[in-house]
Amino acid sequence: MAEWELTNKLGQYLDRHLVFPLLEFLSTNHIYNEDELLQVKLGLLNNTNMVDFAIDVWQQLNPDQIPPDQFMENRIKVVKQLKELESVTRPILELLTNEAISQEIAKARDVRQLLDYLQKNHGFNPDMIDSLLEFAKFQYECGNYSGAAQYLSSHRMLISPNDKNYLSNLWGKLACEILMQRWEAALEDFNRLKEFIDSYPFFANQLHLLQQRTWLIHWSLFIFFNHSQGRDMLIDMFLEKKVNYPKQQTNNPYLNAVQTMCPHILRYLTTSVITHRKRREHMKELVKVIQQESYTYRDPITEFVECLCVNFDFDGAQKKLRECVEVFDHDFFLVALKDDFIENARLFVFEIFCQIHECISIGMLAEKLNMTPEEAEKWIANLIRQARLDAKIDSKLGHVVMGTQAVSPYQQLIEKTKAMGIRCQVLTMNLEKKLHSVQERGWDLS
Amino acid sequence: MSGRFFKGVSDSESESSEAESDILPTRPHPAVTSAFPVSDEEEEAKRVVRTAKEKRYEELHTIIRQIRNHKKIKDISKMLSGFENLTRAFQKAKLVIEREENNKIPTFYLRCLVELETFVHETWEDREGRKNMSKQNSKSLATLRQKLRKYSKDYETEMNKYKENPVEDDEKEEESEDEESDESDSDDDGPMDFMKKPEKEVKEDFKEEPKIDKDVEDDDESDDSYWQGSSDESSLTSDDEKYGGNRAKNVFERDTDKTKETTKRRRKPKEGEHRKQRIHEEEDEQEEGRWKEVQRGGIPGEKPKMFSKDEEINHQSVIKKLLEILAMRGKKRIHRSDQIEMLVELLDICGAHKLGPAIETKVTLGIIAALFEYNPNVSPCMKPENWQKCLKFANLLFDILLENPDIVVSENIAEEAESFTAPSFRVHGCALTLVEKMDEEFTKLLQAVDPHSPDYIERLKDEKNICTIIERLQTYLEANQKGTSSELCRAYILRIDHLYFKFDPLVFKKREQQAKARANSLVNGDGVQTEPQDEEKKEGAVEEKPEEPQIGETSLEVIDRLCKYIYAKDATDRLRTQAILCHIYHHALHDNWFEARDLMLMSQLQHNIHKADIPLQIIYNRALVQLGLCAFRHGNIRDAHQDLLDIQFFGRAKELLAQGLLPKPQERTPEQEKMEKRRLLPFHKHINLELIECVYLVSAMLLEIPDVAANEFSVRKKVISRSFYNQLRKNEEQPLVGLPESMREHVVAASKAMRVGNWKACRDFIINDKMNTKVWNLFYQANKVREMLVQKIREESLRAYLFTYSHVYDVISLATLSEMFDLENNIVHSIISKMIINEELMASLDEPTQTLIMHRTEPSRIQGLALQLADKVTNLVDQNERLWDFKQAGAFGGQQQRMGYQNRQENQNRNYQEYGQRQERNNRENRRSNYVRN
Repeated sequence: MAEWELTNKLGQYLDRHLVFPLLEFLSTNHIYNEDELLQVKLGLLNNTNMVDFAIDVWQQLNPDQIPPDQFMENRIKVVKQLKELESVTRPILELLTNEAISQEIAKARDVRQLLDYLQKNHGFNPDMIDSLLEFAKFQYECGNYSGAAQYLSSHRMLISPNDKNYLSNLWGKLACEILMQRWEAALEDFNRLKEFIDSYPFFANQLHLLQQRTWLIHWSLFIFFNHSQGRDMLIDMFLEKKVNYPKQQTNNPYLNAVQTMCPHILRYLTTSVITHRKRREHMKELVKVIQQESYTYRDPITEFVECLCVNFDFDGAQKKLRECVEVFDHDFFLVALKDDFIENARLFVFEIFCQIHECISIGMLAEKLNMTPEEAEKWIANLIRQARLDAKIDSKLGHVVMGTQAVSPYQQLIEKTKAMGIRCQVLTMNLEKKLHSVQERGWDLS
Repeated sequence: MSGRFFKGVSDSESESSEAESDILPTRPHPAVTSAFPVSDEEEEAKRVVRTAKEKRYEELHTIIRQIRNHKKIKDISKMLSGFENLTRAFQKAKLVIEREENNKIPTFYLRCLVELETFVHETWEDREGRKNMSKQNSKSLATLRQKLRKYSKDYETEMNKYKENPVEDDEKEEESEDEESDESDSDDDGPMDFMKKPEKEVKEDFKEEPKIDKDVEDDDESDDSYWQGSSDESSLTSDDEKYGGNRAKNVFERDTDKTKETTKRRRKPKEGEHRKQRIHEEEDEQEEGRWKEVQRGGIPGEKPKMFSKDEEINHQSVIKKLLEILAMRGKKRIHRSDQIEMLVELLDICGAHKLGPAIETKVTLGIIAALFEYNPNVSPCMKPENWQKCLKFANLLFDILLENPDIVVSENIAEEAESFTAPSFRVHGCALTLVEKMDEEFTKLLQAVDPHSPDYIERLKDEKNICTIIERLQTYLEANQKGTSSELCRAYILRIDHLYFKFDPLVFKKREQQAKARANSLVNGDGVQTEPQDEEKKEGAVEEKPEEPQIGETSLEVIDRLCKYIYAKDATDRLRTQAILCHIYHHALHDNWFEARDLMLMSQLQHNIHKADIPLQIIYNRALVQLGLCAFRHGNIRDAHQDLLDIQFFGRAKELLAQGLLPKPQERTPEQEKMEKRRLLPFHKHINLELIECVYLVSAMLLEIPDVAANEFSVRKKVISRSFYNQLRKNEEQPLVGLPESMREHVVAASKAMRVGNWKACRDFIINDKMNTKVWNLFYQANKVREMLVQKIREESLRAYLFTYSHVYDVISLATLSEMFDLENNIVHSIISKMIINEELMASLDEPTQTLIMHRTEPSRIQGLALQLADKVTNLVDQNERLWDFKQAGAFGGQQQRMGYQNRQENQNRNYQEYGQRQERNNRENRRSNYVRN
């Protein structure tokens, strides 16, 4: 049960605040001791400014006792700090709320010009920028995510991408959006951050780059499994071989990061691929990765794929599928996908089954698909009706008979010669082009 | 008798000292003491009145010696001039000879002539060598030959006589050669002594008492004491006062000994055992000599050789002396062995006076350095005695250094900044470099010994010592952060270098233990439903894991630790690369396939290893081979094949792994060959070549045979392994195939069996007693490997069978197949499914009856031909496209890059599925159309 639980691993790459949702989920799940969970939560809270929340948790832990003074001290300290920061940032906040200035900001193209303008006309001080970031961070620590997000977006207006705080700003903004569950905005921020990391010229250090990517992958899980398009994006991120990674044409850097740093992400990737419409395209790649990493990470979901695509062991796949259900129940990100996954996995099994077999008894199929024979028959009938399956049901014998797959020589011939026309055309075109250029050059020379 | 004897002796002494001041590199063998006072005394000692005979003979000797030296270095033009000088000098000496020797030509002169003659003859005959000679030399050679021929006519009879009866001299020759190899120049003195004493006299001496000397050693001793007494007197009375008294005494003793030796030698001229005895005696003598000196040194004030009587022995004086001795290095008349012994003595003195560890360190460093410099050339190895000494002193050095952590030894300390007196000693030098040098010497020693002789084992015993020394070096450098990180890296790489190729069975035991422990903890973990999720808690649980009898740090962990340090700290790329490769090797050796593979892939070495230096490439090759073997043990046949392919491809595994030279000397210059020889690995590091080849061939068989079966008639069949094909072809070319004898024949026979799906025969060819002893038993867990292999053979045979015979079946029952190949039902199912999915097999399964139904489309003749035509047209288009690409790429893309490991990895899956995807279908058609046509 807890064997496949990933919170422990995921937590290493998440922000403190991002772990809370995971813990909340776990406490509804009852696989761990409630008190221990609270203890952990308290541990997490101790390093934030959310003192009230911490007191709550403490009281949950020790129902009949008065919280120690330490909390109160903390609280006083936090409040004091807040006041200080507020007073420091007040001028800039006032500036930013000024109608005229915000219009000016919206108009401004160049950050430097904007700063110049502000400095000249509004008594702006460059130090204010940093204090703004600090304030935003403080707000974030206090749990005031919307405020933090707002400050951060203002902050970003005022700094150029070359600023040393730009990266922190992006991360902070992403965290805020995720915690406020504004997925569209979060996705926007995520893309901005991803682009920045991919193109960031100062990551000379590969290790640093790898680290950033690993974090990004983990944070993005929140978006991918909550946004409606999320899973497609997840697949794109890992399995698309895009041209825009010029240095490593062969390897997708994110997949690389997964393989080196966090193979447990494969669970999410696998799930996405199986539930994806066009899974076949990606399956091959995925299977390769799973096999390569099988010694560092395996769970029922990856094993399911392995059983099915490598060993063609349908019984094993069936068993794994059953285990998968449990995994899904206990995974914060995947719990909503359970039914979808099961349905798709079944279809996947069946697809492969049909590829191999010519004649299948419905009873056996039902067993393999974890259904009753009647259900199975209905299910298959539906598939046939939707023209997704070329088959007939022999209800007398209880068999499904596949349509013949044999290819006629005629078809074969067509297949073989199909591409040839285009290839020849390309070739002649190239030749012509070349000839043309040679002739031109020839004139030049003469 | 004593008088006469004595006279001769003193003569020889004066002569030898004369000679010394001229060119003689050293004193007679054990004359350590006489070399000690590096003073002007010797020059003065020259003024001795000598007879004409002595003078002439002296001259002759000098020239002969020169000639001999030139001969050694093959400087023929010098030899020619030497020869001319010699004849001239002999002419001068003729008178004396006539008077003294009754016109008998002295033997040493004859000997020289004979030697010259043979040498010239030999050089003349050696046409190869003559061609390589410089112009000047070859010219001189011709002249010398002529002159010599002319000259020797005059002495023909004598020379012939000498040739016939060279007994005594031959004996001496051998002796002198012995001594030469001992690096003591007594061969220069030998003949001189021998000549100097009028033979008859000596002979008479011993005729008088021939039996007394039977018990040689006793006799020696008694003689010694006797002579010692008398010499003391003589030094006071008869000798000039210019001789330092002690010096004379010492030399005198030596010479008496020498005389005795010579005479003894003469008396027993034939036996080999005599020589042995003599060497023994010499050793005795040496010891005796040393012993005497030390005895004298025991009372420090009276030690004349190292320090004068009244000289105070303190740090400065010792350092001064040390520098003096060290400064002697390279000077001609100081022999290196003397230098070493002086240093050893100095060390003793330091010990006796308790001058502190720092100074001892300094002296020890000096000794080790001197030992290394003993050989002037780089290529030949050290002598075993010196090697032993070297080990001893290295140990001593670390004794001192580890006991006294307050000594700082560093190269960065200038000679002037050294301090020996107070704690926080500072010494110039570098222990690390010494150990590195030592390690190199050790490799050379091993290279020089025949690996199949017991000597090798004898030498190899020192491996342990050297490992200890390296470990001590490491502890020394680690303690108190003495070493900088780069020094530590170097020390670690030394350690790794001695560790990485050694197999440690403990690794496996530990692994089993851990697996067991994990299983236990899993059981426990499952029992407790509400296991805490908290990280700390989990870690705690890991720590509490019940661990059975502890296995200490295994070599794998040691290497892991050291390598990780190097990865992090190393600044030079080379050490890191070396560390990575050793790490890979070690992982692979211990069946950590995934780790090894990942390291290999992550290091990306396969892309740039060809830019590295050759020793590194050798390690790379070794790591790759080991990785291949490991993959094989894991059953990853394709990986194993790919890893070994590069090594086996050209059939030069031996060379690529630096385990031997190819017998093609004409392809390289002597220098190259020398370099290659130096790079050869010592035998104990070798990887068994037959094992590599066998694993490679078997892997190739498992991959290739089903592929061959699938593409029997295909035009575009890709060859997976060319060398495997070569083996097959060779076998087919034979008119008569007998029972397989060699490993290769076994594999070929097995392949043939597999080709028709006869897995039992295949298995029996691959796994039998012969192959077991030759190959499989070399694996650590041989049985596991064999099991894996049998399983693979079954599976691949099944595939081959289906490819070959599927067209004769309409329907096959899976149960029959599983019975035929002794495979489990689900495995058969899985294999067939895979084949169907990959479109290798045109068939589908019928689930209710558990049978495989073959699909067959019977193309008509015209269809078959059309398909063939389509194939050919496709080929044509392919060719055109390739041509175009080639033209486009022009000069830049023409050469195809060596396909790296990474790419191969990626291609791997593709290949697997691509092979014969469509081709399979075509084949069938081709086959059929052929059939139709016939």
